[in-house]
Amino acid sequence: MGYHLVRALEFLCPVCRMADSSKEKIIKGIEEEFEGRYPIRPIAERDDKIEEDLAKGIQKNLELLHRYSRPDHLSYYEEILTTSIRVNELKLAKEEERKIIGIFCNFVPQELLYACDSIPVRLCAGTYETIHPAEEILPRDICPLIKSSLGAKLLGLGYFELCDLVIIPTTCDGKKKLGEILNNLVPVWMLELPQKKDIGSAEGLWFDEIKTLRERLQQFTGNKITGKRLRDSIELLHKRQEVFYRLHRLRRHNPPPINGRDFLLITQTGFYDDIDRWIEKTEGLCDELKHHLQPATHSSPRLLLTGAPIIWPNYKVLNIVEEAGATIVADELCSGTQFLYEPVEPDEWTDEAMLRAIANRYLLPSTCPCFIESSDRIDRLLSLIEEFNIDGVLYHLLRLCQLYDIELYRIRQVLKDRNIPMITIHTDYSQEDIEQIKTRIEAFLEMLSNR
Amino acid sequence: MKDLVAGIDIGSVATKVVVFHQEKGEVLSQAVSSTGVNPKLTAQEVLNKALALGSLSKEDIRIVSTGYGRRCIDFGDKVVTEITSCAKGVTWIVKKGGLSPVRTIIDLGGQDTKIISLDEDGGIRDFVMNDKCAAGTGKFLEVIGSRLGIAVEDLAELAERSTQKITINSTCAVFAETEVISLIAQNKRIEDIVAGIHSSIVERIVNMIRVVGERDSIFFCGGGAKNSSIHKLLEKRLNRRIYLSESIDPQFVVALGAALN
Repeated sequence: MGYHLVRALEFLCPVCRMADSSKEKIIKGIEEEFEGRYPIRPIAERDDKIEEDLAKGIQKNLELLHRYSRPDHLSYYEEILTTSIRVNELKLAKEEERKIIGIFCNFVPQELLYACDSIPVRLCAGTYETIHPAEEILPRDICPLIKSSLGAKLLGLGYFELCDLVIIPTTCDGKKKLGEILNNLVPVWMLELPQKKDIGSAEGLWFDEIKTLRERLQQFTGNKITGKRLRDSIELLHKRQEVFYRLHRLRRHNPPPINGRDFLLITQTGFYDDIDRWIEKTEGLCDELKHHLQPATHSSPRLLLTGAPIIWPNYKVLNIVEEAGATIVADELCSGTQFLYEPVEPDEWTDEAMLRAIANRYLLPSTCPCFIESSDRIDRLLSLIEEFNIDGVLYHLLRLCQLYDIELYRIRQVLKDRNIPMITIHTDYSQEDIEQIKTRIEAFLEMLSNR
Repeated sequence: MKDLVAGIDIGSVATKVVVFHQEKGEVLSQAVSSTGVNPKLTAQEVLNKALALGSLSKEDIRIVSTGYGRRCIDFGDKVVTEITSCAKGVTWIVKKGGLSPVRTIIDLGGQDTKIISLDEDGGIRDFVMNDKCAAGTGKFLEVIGSRLGIAVEDLAELAERSTQKITINSTCAVFAETEVISLIAQNKRIEDIVAGIHSSIVERIVNMIRVVGERDSIFFCGGGAKNSSIHKLLEKRLNRRIYLSESIDPQFVVALGAALN
């Protein structure tokens, strides 16, 4: 796989401000630095309008959220997601020779990344504005998440440009081919995921893959992943999972102390931010929320969100649902609860046991539809419905994300059999169908209120 | 609370108003006009028309708006979605006509097709709508009609004169238009092409019905229910009787439902 130097580019803002390099520089960079046999030559058009539109979308999301009385601690998450604070910190870390490693999906063990002193950043993108530039390379019929992510790289936007390396698991077809294309622009490692999730057949493949990843990370960073370092990072992530679990459980309360949009804001700040700071701030937030629980009411319908990932700032559906009066109190999203939920539980602190526990944690609890069987996902949905006292399920589908679409039929029947109402929203990152979605959501909520 | 209620259904194609006397349980007047580009103004005009027809004054009535433009008026008292309104309207019509309770509603509108599944009491159990694409909606007929130079209301009669079955494969209105152009180039009869378009819409509707589960009785409304060819094809395809609104024009069912709030 080709390696090349990533140019140090000046950044102004992580999300809305593009790399301060001209169009010429971007093209030149790609052509000069590519080392493969069959290079591709994308033309990334720098366009100030893209950044303006992005900033507008973010502003609109915040304006809607600021209408509510919200916990003080939330300002931290907003700051990380909308200013250049974190990008500047990462630039400093790079100057100190620390590696920034971009990851996709939920299968790249962050324990290993922290143990070799690198900094993980999750790159799955939710920006509509970066889709069009990616369509130069990708066909029209690819899911918006893949296009949005590639577009961010082509335009030199956000955290992508800071990454020394990108690790992509072989989940769906889109991710596989994204890796192939991205490798022309930044070193990419594909992490091969088994098609079946049961550990028996995965043991050979997946466990070896994790061991190999450790070896390669050690070479790449020059830092040895010792048993102690691995244990320290497992314990660090335990702390993160604990506080996350605490936050998650607070949403069982009726009314929930935070809405679904804020919950994803908090979770997804964890994609980018310094882990120690995130833990500290989220502990503070949980303390604040605990003291502000309202007496039980049942005025607002409690929804469970499932389906294709929703990633900041793509809050289109969430804004419609919550502005119409419902609250998302639980989710099964890979960009939400799945991201931080499960802890790594080694039987003992030996090297082998720790690696095995890591391998298990990143494979077994996953409810990604890329695996052959989907009963785990259905079990998880049913248990969330019970635990969170759910009134209705919102099934979010991204156009051309076939895997979630295919699983819809079975899930619809399972929920129908149990008399649990569900609404399916089939959409993408564009804004053109807002009114149509509003009609469906409002009708669904009217239906729930008359039950 | 005022007994006189005007239900305004601001749809993508037409704006419909029904003025209803809740205590007497009767429709006093109704009016319709194409929605055009200024739904707020259109709604006002159609409302005035309905009020004039019934010799009523605005001060005496409550106003409930529904349909796509439900939020664009500033003179309404309540807003309800067209799905809830449709279920209410159909339940009322069925009761009045002494029919057995409806469990499945097909509402074929200009931009949306809705399949609504009702429980025994007329409450909504489940519903599906087409996604943002126009497949299986009135829009589909409109696009093809305009390509063939035939008014939408004349399409059904033409389709019923078909002698040879043609299958239109594209469910996308834009692709179907291309397909129709190539059928014309092959010298196919217009009657057969139009019948093919009708069958294509019916197939799409049948698939949507399968999603919520088909249950008797089935009721057909919305502007599309005025198309006798679609009605006949649906009955044939589902192999059962499909009820139509007798007490009120099918196009007004949703506006009536809004007025029942």
